[in-house]
Amino acid sequence: MTDIKEGLNNPENSGLKTQPTYWKSLKQLYNDPEFTEASHHEFKEGVTDDFEVSKLSGLSRRKFLALIGASAALAGAGCSNYRDKGSIIPYNKKPEEIIPGNANYYASFVNSCKCGCGVLIKTREGRPIKVDGNPDHPVSKGKICVKCHASILSLYDPERLSEPVKKSGKNFQKISWNIADSEIRNVFSSIGDKEIAVITHSITSPTTLKVLKNFTNRYPSTKIYSYELFNDELRNSAWRKCYGSGTFPLINWDKAKIILSLEGDFLGTEGNHLENSQLFVKGRDINNPGNFSRLYVVEGNMSLAGMNADYRLRLRPDAQFEFVMSLINEISKKTGYSQIGNYLLPSFAQKYSLSKEVLEHLINDLIDSRGTSIVYAGDTLPEKVHIAVNYLNEILGNKNLYRNEVNVFLYPLSTTNDFKNLISSINDGRVGAVIHFDSNPVYHLPYDLGYSNALKKVETVISLVELENESSVAGKYTLPINHSFECWGDAKTRTGFYLMQQPVISPIHNTRQKEAVFLTWIENEGFEYKENLYHEYLISNWRENIYPTLNAGLPFEQFWLGALHDGVVSINENVATIGSFNTAVLSELNLTTDVSGFAVILKESCTIGDGRFANNGWLQELPHPVTKVTWDNYAAISQTTAKELGVDYNDFIEIEIAGRKVKIPVFIQPGAADKTITIELGYGRTHTGTVGKDVGFNANTLLSSTFNLSPYLYTSAKVTKAGGSFEIVTSQEHHSFDDELIKDAAEKRGIVKEGTIQEYLNNRQFLNEGKEHSLLTMYPDHPYTGLKWGMAIDLNKCISCGQCVVACTSENNIPVVGKDQVKRGREMHWIRVDRYYSGSIDEPMVSNQVMLCQHCDNAPCENVCPVVATTHSPDGLNQMVYNRCVGTRYCSNNCPYKVRRFNYYNFRDHFDDAYQLDNLFNLVYNPEVTVRSRGVMEKCTFCIQRIMESRETAIKENSELKGSDVKTACQEACPTSAIIFGDINDKESEISKYRNHELGYHVLEELNVRPNVTYLAKLRNTKEKA
Amino acid sequence: MDLDYTRELEVVEGNLRIPEIDRIIARPMDERPGKKYLLALTISTSALLIGALCVGITLFLGIGTWGNNQPVGWAFDITNFVFWIGIGHAGTLISAILFLLRQKWRTGIARFAEAMTIFAVMCAGLFPIIHMGRPWLAGYLTPYPNQHGLWVNFVSPLVWDVFAVSTYFTISLLFWYVGLIPDFAILRDRTVSKIKKTIYSVFSLGWRHSNRHWQHYEKAYIILAGISTPLVLSVHSIVSFDFATSIIPGWHTTIFPPYFVAGAIFSGFAMVVTVMVIVRKVFDMEQIITLNHLDRMNKILLATGMMVGYAYAAEFFMSWYSGVQYERFAFFNRAFGPYAWAYWIMVSCNVFIPQLFWFRKIRRSIPIMFVIVILVNVGMWFERFVIIVTSLHRDFLPSSWGYFKPTLIDLGILLGSFGLFFTLVLLFARTLPVVSMSEVKAVSPNGQPSHNGVHHG
Repeated sequence: MTDIKEGLNNPENSGLKTQPTYWKSLKQLYNDPEFTEASHHEFKEGVTDDFEVSKLSGLSRRKFLALIGASAALAGAGCSNYRDKGSIIPYNKKPEEIIPGNANYYASFVNSCKCGCGVLIKTREGRPIKVDGNPDHPVSKGKICVKCHASILSLYDPERLSEPVKKSGKNFQKISWNIADSEIRNVFSSIGDKEIAVITHSITSPTTLKVLKNFTNRYPSTKIYSYELFNDELRNSAWRKCYGSGTFPLINWDKAKIILSLEGDFLGTEGNHLENSQLFVKGRDINNPGNFSRLYVVEGNMSLAGMNADYRLRLRPDAQFEFVMSLINEISKKTGYSQIGNYLLPSFAQKYSLSKEVLEHLINDLIDSRGTSIVYAGDTLPEKVHIAVNYLNEILGNKNLYRNEVNVFLYPLSTTNDFKNLISSINDGRVGAVIHFDSNPVYHLPYDLGYSNALKKVETVISLVELENESSVAGKYTLPINHSFECWGDAKTRTGFYLMQQPVISPIHNTRQKEAVFLTWIENEGFEYKENLYHEYLISNWRENIYPTLNAGLPFEQFWLGALHDGVVSINENVATIGSFNTAVLSELNLTTDVSGFAVILKESCTIGDGRFANNGWLQELPHPVTKVTWDNYAAISQTTAKELGVDYNDFIEIEIAGRKVKIPVFIQPGAADKTITIELGYGRTHTGTVGKDVGFNANTLLSSTFNLSPYLYTSAKVTKAGGSFEIVTSQEHHSFDDELIKDAAEKRGIVKEGTIQEYLNNRQFLNEGKEHSLLTMYPDHPYTGLKWGMAIDLNKCISCGQCVVACTSENNIPVVGKDQVKRGREMHWIRVDRYYSGSIDEPMVSNQVMLCQHCDNAPCENVCPVVATTHSPDGLNQMVYNRCVGTRYCSNNCPYKVRRFNYYNFRDHFDDAYQLDNLFNLVYNPEVTVRSRGVMEKCTFCIQRIMESRETAIKENSELKGSDVKTACQEACPTSAIIFGDINDKESEISKYRNHELGYHVLEELNVRPNVTYLAKLRNTKEKA
Repeated sequence: MDLDYTRELEVVEGNLRIPEIDRIIARPMDERPGKKYLLALTISTSALLIGALCVGITLFLGIGTWGNNQPVGWAFDITNFVFWIGIGHAGTLISAILFLLRQKWRTGIARFAEAMTIFAVMCAGLFPIIHMGRPWLAGYLTPYPNQHGLWVNFVSPLVWDVFAVSTYFTISLLFWYVGLIPDFAILRDRTVSKIKKTIYSVFSLGWRHSNRHWQHYEKAYIILAGISTPLVLSVHSIVSFDFATSIIPGWHTTIFPPYFVAGAIFSGFAMVVTVMVIVRKVFDMEQIITLNHLDRMNKILLATGMMVGYAYAAEFFMSWYSGVQYERFAFFNRAFGPYAWAYWIMVSCNVFIPQLFWFRKIRRSIPIMFVIVILVNVGMWFERFVIIVTSLHRDFLPSSWGYFKPTLIDLGILLGSFGLFFTLVLLFARTLPVVSMSEVKAVSPNGQPSHNGVHHG
């Protein structure tokens, strides 16, 4: 600077004589020598000192850059990203089978599921994230029940017990396994001839049984008690009375033309309902409309089977015996069999005001379809009804619909007497120790047995459980056991195959497999527990005992690995043929019940089973298939009964059966029989995790050990209005049947379209009759060259079980919002099963419809989003861009199907003190799907992550992506294969056939939003025009 | 009273002298606030603080603290938004359209109405922001060039809203400020306080009451009035497009734009009357804001109220005439469904009760008028509630029907918006001339040249 100025100041230098002279300071003006001297130097003295290269600090350029880099990295690491809750460390030594980003599947099964579904567990980088069905499984054929789907959540339940605990005083203190083992071993060794009672659920594993037997050999005073709250013992004992031996065989539902189900929820909770429903829908194939089966259901409460019935009669359960007998007599009269007693159908029909027309159809159908019909009585009915039903099937010649397969019981369930003896032994001080072998008898056993009181007298009570329960808190030792997915095992639930179980993750907590705990106790003091203890035991049991019987034709090692890989070992097994009917049993066929009072049916919960799954949020939040109630149980009663009692929805009633009481809120169930109360058990748990504790009401209190009819059915109950109310929440409003404005709205609006088989056979186009001209749009159509995704839902096959909902929850990281939020209408399920009643409240017709994002071509949500957060893909998907979404909710308002879901809170921290934010809980999330936060809209994506995965595979393999390569989670889970997904543009594909089917329709077609989900109208196999 | 239609009614009563007008109008700014004022301010700021607290809770926890649900995605939030935008419309109508129509009587109320417009738009503008799930991303609604290549969706009425409301606010503020410039100069000249003088000097932009100034001023003012005029019609039309362009029965209606504008003017005038009745009393301005003003405004209320009533009837007729069952259901459900109570509050307050204004006595009775306009405010709030909530709560699929119940937070935010509005109004009343001094003087009898100071009229 200075020199330039100087140059300008000096006219000689600049050559500009006319330039005025500028001066900056007086020193300059007077040409002070000091200034002149200074102006000769470019920089002021000392300024450049540091720039002397030699004097510069020793920092080299490289080092400088390295330091800058390091400090940037340090700053980056120090100021950690709030989203980054951990570090990602690559494999130091990569396991051979794991490719990061690729899922591995392992075959196994889930312990606590009664159906014994074979599962495939999807793991990512060694972390199980989803449960699917094992397609090799001979029964469920790749389909699993809701409990299996949700069992993955139980694995990561933050409240699972992680350490052995021992009661000291009133609290439990942590102890080590070694101390626990040696203390317990000491107790057993010094027990003398006092009994060790092992109480378990039904034993399905041959190797577990062997462990228990070994244990009994080691400690000879051991007795094993096995119970199952819900079982079909009565059906089996009736069978033995009729046919001498064996158990009730499985039924060829697919071969039945006429099905009569009496109080039997064979599609919902009873028996192998997954298999039943798969077989049942074979008779609901629209490609074969002449071959539809006809389902009659006679029941006291609306069940899943009742919803799917072609004809449904409501009848209180304690009148079922009279009904079957009347039916037998009516049929006998027409077919030449002798009459039993004086049961007459016309007078019966009169008494219970059953439709004569329907009964006439029923009688004619049963007689016309002799040999191809089946009568089925539910688990809840008394033994005598089962005997009568067996006889009815006998005289109808339906025995050839019995399959050559039966369920297998490795160890008989203990009788009520066994338990009575146990309890009196305890009371007499003859029991030294009680072991709860993954069971909860305090909660499950009838309370009049007095088990819970007796337990207090037992010195050593040991509970082997995953989660704290009512029985474990009453005991001394609570030992945590492995979840199914951390277990080795085998199972034999029915003839023809074994199931294999293998762990897919090493125990997360300090838990042990329950069998291994027993094996440790069998050994002497000083025995060192090893993690593979039971694994080796299992292998050796198979090698020595089971493998030799199989004639596998393979060396054992190969056989074993193959068995684990498949999850199933098929075997040839002969089942004893069914003997001849013992007519002597007919003399037993008399039963008088008092039908003047209230009948109470206790049923298994459709979602949480017998309460074992109470702490599973997915299941608690899954709406009940019929009532759409979440998070509670209730007393389902008819409207007439409610009026008589002077109660409405949510009002408390008190039910008293011989001194046993329960106070429970009312839910008015359309189609329920009068004076019949149906309650689902499994609720009202007092000791389990945060999720399940105090959810619903414990109606186990009504169970009695001395029942007249069946453990699940009681008559002459006293019911009174108890005062007060309790809010039961549903995911769908219940609407008045009387209000003309909303009555039958779904039918009037053409949301559900139905017809009868006859209508369809007469005119295949009946649905499209009177259809208006095609709708116009002023915008050009999307071209959709290439693939275009679409879905079809066959309403003939959908039985509305809700598997799709849980599967979607698991696949798409859908949060549990809790009861309070469901009450506010903020449940997050991307797919829901809508239920519509039509007709009268007493004899309603039910229509179900799976509803999810319709991925409309002219999606009304897309044009209203101000920030383009919801867009349309070239392959026809309606997409959601979470990062762009600001949450105006306009899209949801403008969605005619209301399938969009808004994150009103960060639901993961909203529900019960950040329960879902627990580190362990987070492991359940599918890494392919974004976990949505507060303020963001979300909805069904047609499992876009699966589409992308298939696309990647196709690109890798250099092949065309085909629509059939992709299966959505709901489609995969649907037990009846009612959901079809694929490429609409592929004219050969299944989906395009469904889409162009004459029964196919779109919901709200007239809005011209052009949805891509096609529904196939339900055909009811009724005789006359519906 | 015998009416003489040959003579215009005097806009300013009592033959006030020019300095007297200045004195009356400037008095609230010269005196220390009284107890009543402080009490009113305490109440309104308390309401504001409650609202601020509720907004804070909402921002902290999420929209879940409100009663909104599936299917009712919008409820109090957008109801409040439309309500406040509507309130603003009276101000613009009075200041711009009545100015262009040379309605001299507007001068007494224009300033206040304009201020109310601005405050109402401020209240309104709050809601679109806080109703968002992620309000911190509100910037996404503006089309700004960015490296992500993201752009707003110009097809969405919400984007139109952003432009409509921001334009409205800007123009209203400018219009208001331009009108204030001569008054700032008067205040500057009157005041003895140095601080006030500085402030007024800055805002008066060197106004010297010169002829040239007046010429420019009048031109600017008329241009701004011209710009504002279409806004009276466009802003609420665009707001109505939020609903009209959707496919939800009850929203998808072509009548919405005129219906919304009429409703906005209706509610706006009701709010102006509500506030004016108080202001003229409290600040002794009965001679400037005369009973004639109120009478005229009540006539407008009667007219717009009937327009709104006509719209209600037309909607019903169209839903029946269309033959679309969803439409029919939506309207039937409004009147007889679960929200029938809200519907009948709306109809009674907006259509039936304003019919009382047919009577001159009622139009000129301060207490009755006050009650009626309050009810109109209530009714107009419910109108938006009915449109938004009852249409959403039962739409196409009966399976997804629901019911909206407001939470305390919802109510708190509604209260807070009133708190914000009245706090601003109260502060305005003490800091700026609530009536345009220069305009009133222009229309006062003594403002015109006359012989011997005798007014001819």
